[in-house]
Amino acid sequence: MAQVTDSKSPKTVIAVTDGSAIPTRRDLGLFTAWRVSFVGALLIVIALVGFKPDPYWEILKFLPDGIVVTFQVTVMSILLALVIGLFTGLGRLSNNKIINGIASVYVEVVRGIPLLVQLFYIYFALGRIVNVPPLTSAVVAMAVCYGAYMGEIFRAGIESIHKGQREAARSLGMTSVQTMRYVILPQAFKTILPPIGNEFVALLKDSSLVSILAVSDLLRRGREFAAQSFTYFETYTMVALMYLIITLFLSKLISIMEERIGVEK
Amino acid sequence: MSKNNVMIRVQNVVKHFGALKALDNVSLDVYDGEKLVIIGPSGSGKSTLLRALNRLETVDSGRIFVDGAQINDQQTDINKVREEIGMVFQSFNLFPHKTVLENVNLAQMVVRKRSRREATEISRALLKKVFISEKEDQYPSKLSGGQQQRVAIARALAMKPKVMLFDEPTSALDPETIGEVLDVMKNLALDGMTMIVVTHEMGFAREVADRVIFMDCGAILEEGPPEHFFTNPSQERTRLFLNQIL
Repeated sequence: MAQVTDSKSPKTVIAVTDGSAIPTRRDLGLFTAWRVSFVGALLIVIALVGFKPDPYWEILKFLPDGIVVTFQVTVMSILLALVIGLFTGLGRLSNNKIINGIASVYVEVVRGIPLLVQLFYIYFALGRIVNVPPLTSAVVAMAVCYGAYMGEIFRAGIESIHKGQREAARSLGMTSVQTMRYVILPQAFKTILPPIGNEFVALLKDSSLVSILAVSDLLRRGREFAAQSFTYFETYTMVALMYLIITLFLSKLISIMEERIGVEK
Repeated sequence: MSKNNVMIRVQNVVKHFGALKALDNVSLDVYDGEKLVIIGPSGSGKSTLLRALNRLETVDSGRIFVDGAQINDQQTDINKVREEIGMVFQSFNLFPHKTVLENVNLAQMVVRKRSRREATEISRALLKKVFISEKEDQYPSKLSGGQQQRVAIARALAMKPKVMLFDEPTSALDPETIGEVLDVMKNLALDGMTMIVVTHEMGFAREVADRVIFMDCGAILEEGPPEHFFTNPSQERTRLFLNQIL
């Protein structure tokens, strides 16, 4: 250890071997914003239920069905959005003017209309042709909306791969589809995964909008309970805390996953 | 070595990058089994010419034939022709998400439709030939530049190409690893492969080339066998260039 000691201010001396002078996330110890929020939210829930079981314990018992529906909507929407996003991203990169045009217009239109309006629109537009359950139109609407954002993520991910990779694959006689499938997309996946994780969390939060389509998600269940018991403040406190705990938990999961992938590189 | 069959024919090819004329009415025949080395200052169009031979670069006019198939014709199935043309890049361009063995296997399985066993057998033989068998399970990022380039050569050879194109294969390498790549290329030349090499390695050109071409400003300025070329160039521009780099 190259310990340099200065008699006047021994504490400010940094030895060369002490590592980076810039604090890393680990150095912050227990008090990261994430820990404060997550543990805080959990403690508040426990305290509320413990000290005031009526109505908080009743609310807590009522909400899990809604959490399940929220997850259903989120997972189904994200899967469908991934498929739409992949094709949109490829379309945006296509040299074919028509395909490129369709993909670009789709992205522009969807990004220009509020999600809530899209939800209503697709629900009633679909309703005119076929009688679909609210859950289905909710999933379709969410997927159509997020597919546009996902498309931009895919596009950026594919564009981030060096063009030499494409050239090498093509020079070996691979078709553009084979090149995409075996060479470009597997590499782009690493770039794409973190933003997709973020979209997942964002979609989970936005899925609360589907409660207006009579889908009994977390928020809808809360509204139902509140309407019966007139405990609006207490119910929405719990609903907000539930969303917070879920999204914080998921964000953490995603960042752990990112680090794992980073290490593998 | 037969010098009768034309493997590659380039006829009056012109290519612009915007206002810049990258290829200015270039014509060239390369024979079966010939080793052609293209030299010239940067921006002289030598890489563009090489890349036009497998349509990585499109041309504005003129015609290019490789083994009888017209490269710059929309009717030609370019993927079929590319199977016959191996290419080695300055920056190696190995697939970083695949191991050395998988890099060499991939196109064999996907394009040539060989089974994994068959492909692996061929790959191992080729990796042995480029002296890198012991690294087959490594990822490219763990290899030195010279090792990566040798894998890239094996990957191209796995398609059993009729022609090999080398685009400055040693320019991105540390000096001490250049030799190992050139050795592999020399062995390949001894095997009778038709090779077109864009390079600044004059020693290699002198030793291996049947013919050397000097390009400047998108045109072929001079060509000839290496002994004539390096000792007694007829063009002043060639002499200047050689003086600079030798």
